[in-house]
Amino acid sequence: MPFTLKVAIVWLAIFVVLALMFAFSQFDTAWMKDNWSFILGGIWVTIFIAACSISLATVLALLGALGRISKNPVAYGVSGFYTSFFRGTPLIVQMFLIYLALPQMVQESSQGVRDFFTLEPVEAGIIALGLNYGAYMTEIFRAGIQSVSHGQREAAEALGMTYRQTMKRVVLPQAARVIIPPTGNEFIAMLKDTALVSFLGSSFAMMEIFRRAQLMGKVDFRNMEALILAAGMYWMLTAIFTFFQGKLEARVGKGYVRAGGGTTKAAPGHAARGTAIVTGAGGTQGHGGASGYPMEIDVPEGGDH
Amino acid sequence: MQKRRAFAIAALLLSLSLVAAACSKSTTPDTTSSAGASAGGNDLLAKIQQDGVIVISTDPAYPPQSSLNPKTGKYEGFDIDVAEEIGKRLGVTVEWKEPPWDVLTAGHWNDRWDMSVGSMAALPVRAEVMYFTEPYYYVPAVAVVHEDNTTINDVTTDLDGKAIGVCSACTYDLFLQQTLVITGEDIQFVVDNPDIRGYDTDSTALQDLSLGDGDRLDAVITSGTTAQSAIDKGKPLRIVGPIFAEANSVAFDKSSSLDGQSLVAAVDKIVQEMRADGTLSELSLKWFEVDLSEPPV
Repeated sequence: MPFTLKVAIVWLAIFVVLALMFAFSQFDTAWMKDNWSFILGGIWVTIFIAACSISLATVLALLGALGRISKNPVAYGVSGFYTSFFRGTPLIVQMFLIYLALPQMVQESSQGVRDFFTLEPVEAGIIALGLNYGAYMTEIFRAGIQSVSHGQREAAEALGMTYRQTMKRVVLPQAARVIIPPTGNEFIAMLKDTALVSFLGSSFAMMEIFRRAQLMGKVDFRNMEALILAAGMYWMLTAIFTFFQGKLEARVGKGYVRAGGGTTKAAPGHAARGTAIVTGAGGTQGHGGASGYPMEIDVPEGGDH
Repeated sequence: MQKRRAFAIAALLLSLSLVAAACSKSTTPDTTSSAGASAGGNDLLAKIQQDGVIVISTDPAYPPQSSLNPKTGKYEGFDIDVAEEIGKRLGVTVEWKEPPWDVLTAGHWNDRWDMSVGSMAALPVRAEVMYFTEPYYYVPAVAVVHEDNTTINDVTTDLDGKAIGVCSACTYDLFLQQTLVITGEDIQFVVDNPDIRGYDTDSTALQDLSLGDGDRLDAVITSGTTAQSAIDKGKPLRIVGPIFAEANSVAFDKSSSLDGQSLVAAVDKIVQEMRADGTLSELSLKWFEVDLSEPPV
C-alpha cells in the first residue's frame, strides 16, 4: 500500500475521532449554522491585513538583510537594532505601543502631526505586524543571501559586476529558492496573528474573523461554538496557502531537483524562525548528492499536510 | 535566464512595496480628525455640527445594552438607541467605533471618538479623565450563581471567600477590591476576601459560570440587565440579589484637542429632556422590560 494512502487513512481516522468528540460535546450546531457565514465574512479583512503586512515586512526584510551583511557601520548598526528590538518584544505589546503610545508622544505637536500619528486599529496592526515579521524575515533573508556560495560572488566580481549588479543578477535570484519556504511559513503565521488586531478595537467595516467570532460568541453566550468556527476557518485558510506555497517552491526549485526524483518533500517540520538553511532531515526519495553540488540542501516545506 | 529571473524578482519587490504604500492609505480614514481648529469652529461641539457627524464608541458584546445584528449589520440595544436619539437631537448623524473597554475607561481617547454611551458609571476616579453627564439610567449590580447552587442565598454573608467572576476594570471589579466610590451612594462592601477572577467582559464570566456550580466560578457579579439577558438566552443561572446600584452616564474625554465642555453641556441638557418627555422610560421598557431611568428610591 503506498505511503500516501496510509497517511490519508491516518488523517481520516483522526477526523472520525474529532467528529465523535464534537457530537458528544453537545455543541449548539444550529447556532453554528446560523452564524458561520457572518464569521466567514471577516476573511477578506484578515487577508487584507496579512497581505499589507507581508508586503511591508518583505521590503523591511530585504533592507535589513542587506544591512546585516553590510560593511557600512550605520547600516549594520541600525539593522541590528531593528532586529533586536522587534524580535525582542511581544507582538501584542508592539501593537499597543504603536496604537496608544504614538499619539501620546506627539501630543504637543500641531493638529496635522497628531492626526498622522493617531492610527486606526487596522493601520496600527499592519505596521506592527510588518515591523515584527520584517525583523524575523531579516534573518531569513540574510541566511538566504549567505547561503549562496561565496564563489558566486567572487566570480561575479571577477566578471566586473558592481555590488548592485551582483546582488540583483547573481545572489538574490539564487537566494530566493532558500528564502521562499520560510517566508511562506511567516505569511501563514501572520494570517493567524492578524487576530491580535481585534484587541486594539475595531470598526464595523474592518472586523476580521476572530473579532466576529468573539462578538457573536459573547452576545449569544456561545463562545465555544464561535471559536471552533473561527479555528476551522483559519485552518482552511492556512491549508489553501500552504498548497499554493508548495507550488511556488516547486517552481522556484526547478533548476535544483532531479527530473523524476522526489519533489522537495522533506520530513514534515517547521523551519525554525530566523533560519533559512535547514540541513535536510532525510525522508526524500533519491536525492542523490554525488555531484557535490549544493543539492544536499533539503528545503523543508512550510507546514506539510 | 538569470537576467529575466532577477528582473522578475525586482518587479515583484517593487510591486510589493507599492501595495504596502497603497495599503496604508486605503484603510478606513479617521473621520474625527478632519479640518480641526482651522475650519472656523473652535470647540468640539461646533466642529461636530459643522461636520454633521458625531463618532460614538460602543462595545457590541454587551447585550441588551449593545450588540451587533449580523443579518442587518446594525447595532442594536438600549445604549445604541439612547446614543442615536442624542445624535438626532444634536442634529448630526452617528458613526460608531468599537474600542476595548479598558482603553475606553482610561481616557486619553486621542480624538478617535467623541462620546461614549456605554453604560459607564461616573466614578470619581474616572471623572479625573472624563466628563460625565447626569445619569441616563440606573442599574442594580447583582450576584449570579449557577442554578444548581443552593448554598449562596444571602449576598451579605454567602459570597465571602468564593471565586467570583467580574469584568476587569468594571465597577464590579472595583467593588470586590473595595475601592469603589460612587457619589451619592454609601456602598457596603459586604463581600470579604473574594477570589477575584477578571474577564474581558461580563459575557465570558457568565459563560464560565454556566459550566457548572464551582467548576470555574462560584458566582459572578454583573449588571442585572446582563444577567437577565443571559438567563433569557438559556444559560442555567439564578440571580441571587442586588448588591449595589450604579448610575450610568454619557462620557467625554477631558483631553480632547478641542474643548468639549459645550458638547457636554448640550448632551447633558438632551439627557434631561429625554427623561422629562419620557423617552428614556420608553427605551428602558423596550429593552429591559422595567423602567430603569429613574433613580431607585
